[in-house]
Amino acid sequence: MQRVESFVFLALHVIMIVFLAEAVWGQDLAAIERGKYIFAAAGGCGCHTDLENKGPFMAGGRPIQTPFGKVYSTNITPDLKTGIGRWSTEQFIRAMTKGVGPRGQHYFPVFPYTSFTKMTRRDLVDLQAYLMSIPAIKNKTRPPEIKPPFSWRWGVAMWKWLYFTPGTFRPDASRSSEWNRGAYLAIALAHCGECHTPRNVMGGLKTGMYYAGTVAGPGGELAPNITPDETTGIGDWSIEDVVWFLQTGLKPNGDDVQGSMSELIEQGYAKVSEADLRAIAVYLRSLTPIHNKVEPSK
Amino acid sequence: MRQAWVKLSLLALCLVVSLATAQAQSDEAFLVYRQKLMQGQGASMGAISQIVKNKLPFSGHIATHAHDINRLSKLIADAFEKKITEGKTDAKPEVWQDWDKFVEAAKKLESESAKLAQIATGGDMAAIGAQVKAVGKSCGGCHKPFRKPKEERFKR
Repeated sequence: MQRVESFVFLALHVIMIVFLAEAVWGQDLAAIERGKYIFAAAGGCGCHTDLENKGPFMAGGRPIQTPFGKVYSTNITPDLKTGIGRWSTEQFIRAMTKGVGPRGQHYFPVFPYTSFTKMTRRDLVDLQAYLMSIPAIKNKTRPPEIKPPFSWRWGVAMWKWLYFTPGTFRPDASRSSEWNRGAYLAIALAHCGECHTPRNVMGGLKTGMYYAGTVAGPGGELAPNITPDETTGIGDWSIEDVVWFLQTGLKPNGDDVQGSMSELIEQGYAKVSEADLRAIAVYLRSLTPIHNKVEPSK
Repeated sequence: MRQAWVKLSLLALCLVVSLATAQAQSDEAFLVYRQKLMQGQGASMGAISQIVKNKLPFSGHIATHAHDINRLSKLIADAFEKKITEGKTDAKPEVWQDWDKFVEAAKKLESESAKLAQIATGGDMAAIGAQVKAVGKSCGGCHKPFRKPKEERFKR
């Protein structure tokens, strides 16, 4: 009798553990899947893969030329020593939304925490779950080669005080839910403005010129005007044109997109649902058209 | 005697100048022809895209446009054979340095567009959409290594 009882007791325990494990594991899997989607909507975080030198996925080291010097992207794989494997949820969220590393160091705003600060906590937690699920790669990346005085980290604190407003995206109640979804996706995740908005001499975004394009985008690339201006922007693009472009990289004139945008589409935006891409298009079309012809200077 | 020399050298100079201009003109004509050829393919690509993204009732047209791209793609290697790196062109010198790769990239467009023409007759929009992307990718497969980036585009 005693034997039967202890057997039942044990069996019950085993069943309970299996159930619990499944609940936890199942939740994780769902979080990873959601995080993978967030990752795509953020453009696939391509800066963190040194594609040109066939570097491993998200292991960093990609050189990025800025007006202030050269930086190398960081390793965001779950490697414990050289990646972000040891980061707690709060450390991850602090880095993404405040631009502050685990040792309290200020990140240069080439890392677009200026946009990611608008992300919801849920999306941040999911994104971390996804990043923790990718293969850990041991890769110590090179320190930034930024010229003083811009290289002084306390200077970054000053910069933040001038040009950085932390805080989660706040929906506009007067707009449709589709518009709000699109605004959140474009601003907080896709971080369109980081490349498509011209910057001042201090590297701060010219707020009056949001999405109006610049010849001096990251890596010296030309980022076109994506406001709905008819002649200098994408005013002649329909909602369908924008959605299709973000799915395929094909412009209305049949030409294919160039530069880092082709990478962003391939690694990221193309994997975003049609409804979400539509929402982005709706948001982009609602912007105030800015007349700004972006052309190479030569 | 001296006068004859002067006259002869003048004649020679005229010849050289006229030959040089003739050369420049013909280069320019080559460049414009290449651009027309590319625009032709772009127009067909744009037309296919327009049908797919707006779900227009012309899915039966897609095969024709794909055939057009396919036919034009066979002219690329011929049109670009003459090496021209100066003037109003977006072609990188790599076109002629890596000629075999360039031809191979054009062949890729040829095979992908042929595949689209074939798939399009089936009428399966999902399959068509996927193949349109593959054709678009083959455009990029040649443009990325062989076309100057937008920062260095010429202005016409």
